[in-house]
Amino acid sequence: MASQDSSEYYFDDDSQFLNALQNIVLPGDIQHDTIQTSENILDGLEDEHENASQESEELEPPPPGQPRPSLKRDYSQVEEDDWEEPDQVDEAVYGAAHFDNFGEYMRRKRAKLQIQNSQIGQGSQIFKGLAIYINGWTQPSVQDLRQMIVEHGGVFQPYLDKKGLVTHIITCSLTPAKLQEFKHMKVARPEWLLESIKAGTLLPWRDYKYIPEGRDDSSQGSKPKHQQSSLSMETQARQAAIEPLYVTDPKSVKEAAAVPGYASAVSNPNARRAMANPEWRKAHTSVSADFIDGYYKNSRLHHLSTWKSELKDLVHEAQERAEATHGGGHLGKVAAESGVSMRGMELPAMKSPSKSKGKNKAVVDHDRVIMHCDFDCFFVSAGLVSRPELKGKPVVVCHSQGNTGGTSSTSEIASCSYEARKFGVKNGMSLRQGRSLCPDLVTIPYEFDRYKQFSLQFYTVLMSHADDLQAVSVDEALIDVSDRVAQLRRSAGYEGSQYDPAKDYAETIRAEVRKATNCEISIGISRNILLARLATRKAKPGGSFHLLPEDVPEFLAPLEVSDLHGIGYHTKQKAQEKLGTTNLGELSKKSKSQLIDALGKATGEKLYNGLRGIDDKQIESDKPRKSVSCEINYGIRFENNEQAEQFIYQMAVEVKKRLDAIDMLGRSITLKIMKRDATAPEEPAKFLGHGPCDLFSKQGPLIGPGGKATSDDQIIGEFAWRLLKSFDFDPKDLRGIGLQVQKLESASSSNIPAGQAVLPFKRMQDSSRSGPSHRQATPTIADAVQALPQHPPPEPTKRAEQSFDLPSFSQVDMSVFDALPPSLQEELKNEYSRRSATPFTSVGAGGPPAPKPAPAFPNKPTGFPARRSITPVGVFPARSSAKEVNVKRITHQLAPQNRTNLSPQKSLLFMLMKKKPPKQVSSRTSEAKLRELGIDPEVFASLPKQVQDEQLVRARILKEKGSLPEPPSQRIILKAKKPTLPPGFVPYRAPAPKARFPEVPVLRQRGKAKGEKLAFTEADDVQRIMEAWVAAYKHWAPRDKDIEYLSKFLLQSVDSEYAGDVGVEKAVAVMKWWMVLLRRTWPGSEPGVDDDDEDEDEDGRGQVDAIGKAWWDAFWKVKREMDVVARRKFGGSLSLR
Amino acid sequence: MSDEPLSFDQAVAGVSEFIEVAIHTILYVRQVYPPDLFIRRKKYDTPVYQSRHPTLNEYISGAIKAVSDEIAQGTVEKVVMVIRNKEHVALERFIFSVENMVEVEPFNRGTRIENAMTAKSLVQYFRSFLIKLSMLECQLGQMNLGDDISFAILLELKDKAAPSVSHTTDPPPWVPAETQHTTAGVTEEAELHMIRSVNTGVINVSIAVQESAEKLRLEKEKRKQRRLEAKKAAELLKQEQPPQ
Repeated sequence: MASQDSSEYYFDDDSQFLNALQNIVLPGDIQHDTIQTSENILDGLEDEHENASQESEELEPPPPGQPRPSLKRDYSQVEEDDWEEPDQVDEAVYGAAHFDNFGEYMRRKRAKLQIQNSQIGQGSQIFKGLAIYINGWTQPSVQDLRQMIVEHGGVFQPYLDKKGLVTHIITCSLTPAKLQEFKHMKVARPEWLLESIKAGTLLPWRDYKYIPEGRDDSSQGSKPKHQQSSLSMETQARQAAIEPLYVTDPKSVKEAAAVPGYASAVSNPNARRAMANPEWRKAHTSVSADFIDGYYKNSRLHHLSTWKSELKDLVHEAQERAEATHGGGHLGKVAAESGVSMRGMELPAMKSPSKSKGKNKAVVDHDRVIMHCDFDCFFVSAGLVSRPELKGKPVVVCHSQGNTGGTSSTSEIASCSYEARKFGVKNGMSLRQGRSLCPDLVTIPYEFDRYKQFSLQFYTVLMSHADDLQAVSVDEALIDVSDRVAQLRRSAGYEGSQYDPAKDYAETIRAEVRKATNCEISIGISRNILLARLATRKAKPGGSFHLLPEDVPEFLAPLEVSDLHGIGYHTKQKAQEKLGTTNLGELSKKSKSQLIDALGKATGEKLYNGLRGIDDKQIESDKPRKSVSCEINYGIRFENNEQAEQFIYQMAVEVKKRLDAIDMLGRSITLKIMKRDATAPEEPAKFLGHGPCDLFSKQGPLIGPGGKATSDDQIIGEFAWRLLKSFDFDPKDLRGIGLQVQKLESASSSNIPAGQAVLPFKRMQDSSRSGPSHRQATPTIADAVQALPQHPPPEPTKRAEQSFDLPSFSQVDMSVFDALPPSLQEELKNEYSRRSATPFTSVGAGGPPAPKPAPAFPNKPTGFPARRSITPVGVFPARSSAKEVNVKRITHQLAPQNRTNLSPQKSLLFMLMKKKPPKQVSSRTSEAKLRELGIDPEVFASLPKQVQDEQLVRARILKEKGSLPEPPSQRIILKAKKPTLPPGFVPYRAPAPKARFPEVPVLRQRGKAKGEKLAFTEADDVQRIMEAWVAAYKHWAPRDKDIEYLSKFLLQSVDSEYAGDVGVEKAVAVMKWWMVLLRRTWPGSEPGVDDDDEDEDEDGRGQVDAIGKAWWDAFWKVKREMDVVARRKFGGSLSLR
Repeated sequence: MSDEPLSFDQAVAGVSEFIEVAIHTILYVRQVYPPDLFIRRKKYDTPVYQSRHPTLNEYISGAIKAVSDEIAQGTVEKVVMVIRNKEHVALERFIFSVENMVEVEPFNRGTRIENAMTAKSLVQYFRSFLIKLSMLECQLGQMNLGDDISFAILLELKDKAAPSVSHTTDPPPWVPAETQHTTAGVTEEAELHMIRSVNTGVINVSIAVQESAEKLRLEKEKRKQRRLEAKKAAELLKQEQPPQ
């Protein structure tokens, strides 16, 4: 009651807080005594600044030793106390408002109103927790509603300035602006309140949701906003309950969550144990050498997909044959070959060949009859043919057999019988999931041979009936039987009656298939593919159903989005999320733009059309193969990059095999990677499966030698590996790898090398390198031209028409040439005749020499490198226009390199310009000369100067050579030549600086053998020599020569300039050793080096002997010399301590 | 640590860094400052002592920064750390002799220098330098020259060169040194201990410590005094214990 009033002081409180307040036991209850006393203390404190700021009080520390459940609670209690004491309320609510404090004013105003409200008597509490705002005119009036709300425990909010306070809005009408404003609030009609009161309980507001006329407000209230009460959240959640998804190996964590019984977060213990064993790993994962072969031998999906493509080919072939023989409809014999492939099989030619594919499309939509023929649980029924005893039992087909691993098997159910389906078993479940639904599940193994046989038989039957056929999969096909059905209808005579020729015909087909395979198929019939597929659902099991256009909306209404072909789980989720429904009937009410907004352009449009039974997809029997791929996402477990690389190459071999099988080459490669989701366990629930993964893919070009398309496994492997490496994934995290080769070209057609243009240039470079003189250039042209691929010899007649032998023209594929439009042919001929005037082509032919000697310009040493002038001007345009097929490719290939590769042409042109006679001649040309050149002097004189020059040049060239050089066929834009580097030019790079080490002083000694000289550099060695020396001369004074040797070495060493500080170190070490040796041998002779500690030396003094003194003297002499040297750098002297 | 030969830049950086570490270590080993001013840290895989005094650290690192600029110029001959008594008389001079072996064009300073020592083994050398430094006491005896010792960092350049690198418009941050701190001012009696040296092929480094004549004299006096005291003590002992 009063609690709401107090909340008014706290404008930042929300409705949840209001709820909390209501649960508070009111003051006066015994249990709150202690709290109350504390509050009383606080009250005294608060009185002074009651008006100032309520919030600042919250910052005050609690009185010590007082229980204090929570600050807010305390203060709410305080407020309630205030309410009990009228003068404080007066102060807080009815006090004078301060200037410039509108917030305070509003707060008080609201509080006052709530006080008024509270004076209204209390009835039931059905609106408890609601804070309702009433907008605009209502029926009943605002006053009445307010009365009702407050009477029943609700809060009436007179203002909407704080939306957080309001839980619901009641209105009878809203302006568009308000509609927008309240978009995310709960807006209901007054009836909600009225009927709730009538019912004595709070009815769901959603049923009374305010819906403006003519507007769809689907967004209103459908987005779970935070201010919604938990009640509405719950209903929402129920609506959006995710449907279980049945896959054994979900790809994402989200999907995994939707799979019942799939523990996505836990590593599969069996798999982990197995993986721990390196031997096992080697034999069973992708690391194993024959993994790919084994994988494909056992992969159901692989068989299905390859069969599908093979079937498509078969269908295509059959069509071609049919077109050739024009409907020699015979039933092909299906040989029961061993081996699982369908290759080498033959399907009967189609019954009525689709001679008019184009026309077919023109057939009015409702005249078309499409049948969708589908086996009923193909694998199971095929398996049951040989196991009649299992008929009528819940049977599934999967890898796992018997009861082994029954309860924990992750083996995927590929197909299940209708009996099993009754238990809720679905295709794609794991066996474990299936077993939990139906413990008596019988498993039968895959029988790929039989599937193949049945499939072929199935298609054989269909072929004999269909106008057009699309192989959807092994057990599923779409056929167009429009003509046939129309015929039947005509022959039946009475149109429009109950008789349905299509259904009749479908039954015929079904009977035939049943006869051939002992299996049931279901046929859905309708006017397009989409509807036919839907009809099949109704037809199953073992029946046929004709979905007539007029029944379409009715038929669609109860269905779900995902029932439409091509719309899957994700779209369904999206529809649920954004449109609030997945029901087709409801979706059909949405506008096209709504659908597109929610689902994206393609899907939205497709769905919109689909809902109206429109599907413009054509049956595609001869869809060309667009890609060849190999994808493996089972058992991929690498430990390092080498294994991954090896595997990629193995996959490349597989791809090559497939490319070769269809005689194709590829130009582009896509690598698809499944990488373990970081949150997923190492081993997913499915044994060796991929588990939740992140998907990546990258596309790159696939360039064979010479820029051609390729099917070489080494190249594919290399490109794929490069792509994989560019991802830089941890090989351990790879779970699936797919290689796909696209941009296919037929291998036979691409024998015409795409990279023709590359070849001659390469040759020329070679020639320029091998023979720098331009003389040799001529033969190399011949080489180059001959190196061009040989083509079928030209037609002799064509050849005879030419006045010259035209070798490059001979290379033109005449079939192509003939196929060209006459204008183009003409152009080509002209081109060739022009080219024949230049010497190169004739030289290249090796035929009769050109009638005229080589003209001056192309091949003379003009100061340009000879190799630049080799290419005849016209080669490229001529060639490319002759081979229309290749033009695009050639230009495409040349495009990026244009500048460099075409430079020969440019420079040739450049030369040509240089050859123009100097200008000054033209003005002063005598009449006689003009006449000589065949120019009328009078006319010449009247010409403008520029034209004069032109004419003159023209005439001169004509006279000199007899013909004019054709202007280049292409417009060539002259650009500043890029400075080209001579071949083999390596830009100068300064050599890396070299380290310099100080010289190492050497102590030389005569070896034992005569002439042998020993050299010592290391301190150790020198010390050893010294020891030997001292020992040898124990009884003699050292020889001056020896000392000299040594001192020379030491002085050199100690000289930092010469030997560096390492030398000093070494010299000191040697000297120290010398001193040690001397002390050992002649301790008594050591001079008292200016040490005035007499006592220490006293005992040794007596034993001074001459030899020792000589040694010591030598030592000190050397030392002094060394000091002098060392002083230069360091000053002072060396210490030997 | 790379197995590739040093580049010039690396060598300069490596040597300057080492000198800085060595100065800290010397300050600790020679007890220029009280030991609790230092913390033990790891450098070149060996324990070293680093001063914790921010002003001191700033001075050292500033000096080393200037030193490294000069080393890059190739004009440095020695970096000397002088330990002096309160009269500013040099007691010990720690000489970091630096010798630039190659002249490298500025564009080539980042390239590996052929045949030069690798960074890896240079670090090993530095480790041995530091180990030798920390065992210096064995060679030089304990530093017992009183509390008032201080230190200075000197830069000795090749003949006629003057410090040239300045990052501001101010002149380079060096002042002329006191002669008696420099090599030229060393008397003949001073004794030099070569501690360790290494030839990197780029910049050769060595550390030597030179005990000044003053220090040697002081020590001798101290020894004498000790001996006298010992004698006196012995005599006193004799007097107290009359022969029985």
